[in-house]
Amino acid sequence: MSGRLRPGLEQAAIWLVLLLLIVIGASLSEAFLRPAYLANMLRQAAPVGIAAIGVTLVMVRGGVDLSVGAIVSASAVCAAALMDGDATRLPLALLASCALGAALGAFNGVLVASSPVSPFILTLGTAIVFYGGTQIVTGGTAKGAIAPGFREFFNHRLGGVLPLLALAFVLLALLGVALQRRTPFGRSLYLVGSSPAAARLCGLPIGRITVLVYACSGLFAALGGLALLARSGVSGSLAASGYEFDVLAAVVLGGTAFQGGRGGIGGTVAGVLILTVAFNLVNVVGLHYHAQLIVKGVVIVLASAIYRRIGATSGVSA
Amino acid sequence: MTAAHAWRRLRPPFIVWLLMGTLLTCALTVDGFIAPGNLANVARQVAVLGVLALGQTFVIAAGMMDLTVGALATLVTVIAAHWMDGQAARLWSGVAVALVLGLGVGALTGALDRTLRIHSLILTIGMMTVLTGVVFMITDQSSGAPSPQLAALANEDLHGVPLSFLMLALLTLLAHLGMHHTRFGLHVQAIGSSEEGASHAGLRVAQAKAATFVVSGVLAAIAGLLLLGRLGTGYPNAGSGLELDAVVAVVLGGTLLSGGRASIVGSVAAATVLGVISNVLNLLEISSFVQMALKGMIVVTVVLLNRPAAQGRA
Repeated sequence: MSGRLRPGLEQAAIWLVLLLLIVIGASLSEAFLRPAYLANMLRQAAPVGIAAIGVTLVMVRGGVDLSVGAIVSASAVCAAALMDGDATRLPLALLASCALGAALGAFNGVLVASSPVSPFILTLGTAIVFYGGTQIVTGGTAKGAIAPGFREFFNHRLGGVLPLLALAFVLLALLGVALQRRTPFGRSLYLVGSSPAAARLCGLPIGRITVLVYACSGLFAALGGLALLARSGVSGSLAASGYEFDVLAAVVLGGTAFQGGRGGIGGTVAGVLILTVAFNLVNVVGLHYHAQLIVKGVVIVLASAIYRRIGATSGVSA
Repeated sequence: MTAAHAWRRLRPPFIVWLLMGTLLTCALTVDGFIAPGNLANVARQVAVLGVLALGQTFVIAAGMMDLTVGALATLVTVIAAHWMDGQAARLWSGVAVALVLGLGVGALTGALDRTLRIHSLILTIGMMTVLTGVVFMITDQSSGAPSPQLAALANEDLHGVPLSFLMLALLTLLAHLGMHHTRFGLHVQAIGSSEEGASHAGLRVAQAKAATFVVSGVLAAIAGLLLLGRLGTGYPNAGSGLELDAVVAVVLGGTLLSGGRASIVGSVAAATVLGVISNVLNLLEISSFVQMALKGMIVVTVVLLNRPAAQGRA
């Protein structure tokens, strides 16, 4: 449980794996050396990556959130329906979908805090409710229209290189890291995650922390939904089904364990990028789209295994 | 075994009472529910999820989770449809291919779990992704057909009882005996409640854990064959999402997600409750979207009500 014994080595390991993949990419194709291509991968990673920031906090607290895919879909639909192609309604739509995400997350948090039942099964259940609710609202098809200028804004490239959506991902990740390291809330997550009993003896308000961390997860999932809207323009009610698996894979690859108390957002960002780079590698090699799934699965398993091996030799139990 | 022990073993789990209550309520209040044709239909629908839930119960009892089963059942459906291609003569070879595939994938998952020692959730998410990729490499549209006998097994009745439900009943009996009356089953539960303790007690932890994945893989293959019989073709999305439905059924059935306490009967009862509820909502002509939301609420409510003394976390 002494997860922070050698954080330096742990943190470095996952970034080394990422670097290795990029080097492999560069040896296969010149594209991997172009800043615009690298920045584009950041943009591709944004929807899953932003949602994964919140889930990392939940998992450090010792929980898990399987409803992120449903919240991403719900908030994307909510934003598209409210803006309905009208640029003047953008602020309302963005605020409302963030509020919706945070509220759904807080609902998860209340359930988890008030019951000893595993958060895995609770959030699996609420995910079905959220998907169903979204489907009822949309009638099963895409709903609403994206306001003009929304996608153009986020896909605008600063200096012709860095899409604003990629920048937003980086800024949100930095915000998450600051939340996790510099605030009492963030630090308390590690204590609650590694030893709830000790946290209770320290007088930490565990219930309030739990509700807050799930609300954070919902909020980041909503932001991930907006990122999805900006990247692909899709607002279908099942747009993000299966995201929960991608998010979980990225968070665990990044070194945050299911037991809680260790890991963090930095590793998660690397985990998301590893999956994205692997996907692009398959593209560059020219394999079929479906082969990407196979490579992705193998990368998830191999990278976790390598990471665990490094963690084990540095005296940290995975 | 003392009398108190025996009672604790035999006492039906909460979900069985819930199943009886649901059946009674539906029979009394919903027109057409107890029509023999409708009940047989429910039973046929329940068979696939029930078989998957049986295998999942073993893995969860050992303190792990197997998310490959939906993708594995799909792979079996697609490959068996391709091989059988509607020919009666290819029944047994097709069944053999399916079972070997399930066994092989289960053994591979078990071996990887043993050698890599990464969390089972991540390992099986990775395996699930690979298997889905393989399915779509084979075909991205429905192709092939089951042999006529397999279609009959999935769709026909014996004196009004669907054959697939009889098969589920038989497998449930075998799984119940395996879980509660064999050394293997008891070892699996011991490992789930304390892996370290089980290891100190001299149990062969690694082998038993790997074996649960094999059990789950073989049952996923059987579920894949039943799916193929029902669908009549190898549909590449046949089993998508079934892995989470199976986990839901197992947990509703009273098996601890953290391992150590399992109820085979509970898992099948829970799969049946889910099937009955969806059938009744269909009879009442409630839209599938409302059904989905209701299903989620039922899952959350039952999980909150059915609160064992010591629930662990995932």
